[in-house]
Amino acid sequence: MIIDIHTYIGKWPHWPLPVSSTSGWVETLAREGVDTAVICSTRSLFVSWEDGNREAEDAVSKHPKRLLAFACLGPTEFSHKLAGASLDFDSYDARGFRGIRLYPQYHSYHPLYEPFVERVCQAAEVRSWPVFLPLRAVMNWGAPTIELNWMVDLVERFPRTQWILAGINYFQELRVAIQLMRRHPSVHLETSCVQGFNGIEKLVQECGSRQVLFGSGAPLQCLGAGLQKVLHANLADPDREAILGGNARQLLHLG
Amino acid sequence: MIVDAHVHIGKSTRLQIDADAAFLVRTADELGFDKICCTDLTALFYDMHEGNHLLYEQMLRYPDRIIGYASLHSTRFGRESLEELDRCHEVYGMRGLKIYSTPEVSIAEPAMIPILEKCVEHRLPVLAHATPAECEYLMERVPEAVLMMAHGGGQPYAKGDWNRAIMAAQKFSNLFLETASSTVDSGFVTTAVETLGAEKVVFGTDTPLLDPYVQQAKIANARLDGRARELVMGGNILRLMDLAA
Repeated sequence: MIIDIHTYIGKWPHWPLPVSSTSGWVETLAREGVDTAVICSTRSLFVSWEDGNREAEDAVSKHPKRLLAFACLGPTEFSHKLAGASLDFDSYDARGFRGIRLYPQYHSYHPLYEPFVERVCQAAEVRSWPVFLPLRAVMNWGAPTIELNWMVDLVERFPRTQWILAGINYFQELRVAIQLMRRHPSVHLETSCVQGFNGIEKLVQECGSRQVLFGSGAPLQCLGAGLQKVLHANLADPDREAILGGNARQLLHLG
Repeated sequence: MIVDAHVHIGKSTRLQIDADAAFLVRTADELGFDKICCTDLTALFYDMHEGNHLLYEQMLRYPDRIIGYASLHSTRFGRESLEELDRCHEVYGMRGLKIYSTPEVSIAEPAMIPILEKCVEHRLPVLAHATPAECEYLMERVPEAVLMMAHGGGQPYAKGDWNRAIMAAQKFSNLFLETASSTVDSGFVTTAVETLGAEKVVFGTDTPLLDPYVQQAKIANARLDGRARELVMGGNILRLMDLAA
């Protein structure tokens, strides 16, 4: 079973995507042999995270066998409309969201100084939700990033949170992620931006396969390319199966 | 014939690479690549004479598999660079030039012009790790030169803007795109081929820095017909280097 932990629905405002409809995206997943994709709407990054969550919820209701959604959340304090509103985590639970995604680089906040992040981590811990934190959304040098140290400090501050570190590519980023994974069994790394030669193989050599999750960043990034790096990595079959889906299955409590 | 137009050989501390020809040829075998176009890392980042000679020695070990790029680590070495290019072409049999543009030394400057003219004289295509704007500067001054924008023209200093690179390549008949990149943005290869024609897109992997399977999959997943695929995967670089398919 293949589970892609890092995918999107919605539009990409910077250039046209080959697949921009949810139905087209679901067809692509089926064609590439991906059983389940965890989505978030790009509307949540650029327009309104709550509107995007509704879009993701709607997509999951239409394609419940293929899609799962993480709720994309941001702070409310400076929002025109949401100022003073508190996040109702129970409602996200009831709506079927399986985790949380944070995008400080798109939502203009510093995650180490934003009280809502603590609330997110506490709520996630209670519900056994993973929290997805991308250094960058796509491996494009024009894409905004967060500081690598923010990621480190967040993990160290909330070590019981089930973190999914995303958008990691460069050597120093990987080295930091590996150290975090070694120190904290709750830290996972998704593969969408790991582009180095034998990158997946080296990761597994360094910290085993249990904390590595297949992610593609598709359809912003090429799904087939994301898959090939895992399929061709020099790994034992159980490790490959764990990365492609087994680990995500456990993390998301998919039975 | 499949030809990888962007491969590194040798050592680099920054890139954490230490790769000899045997390793690279074995990797090419695993991927089904017939030839690999190599640039030596010592030549590219430290000492052109030493590095290009190291590459030449490796080329002699695999004459049917390794095509050499001469590499220069800077445009600022005047006549020494031109003589090195002569040596690489006439003595070592190298078929292209690889050069980096960096924040320390941009290749978009007058010092690069005689180097480009030398490449024209020897019919050497240039794999330029440079921004689209830098390549445009050079094409405006030496339009008969053949430039391939490494990494689709979208490398870090260009902020990943491959759309901008495609626009630049539209303006100059001798400006090409090479595909190796950490960026795997959906649609890059398809858009490049549909906009520029398959003749202007050159397949590369940046092995052993990047995962070649990912780079190969970018082409495999693009909407290309059979002829376009053949050109991108090897026909174009062989034509630009005056080599038979």
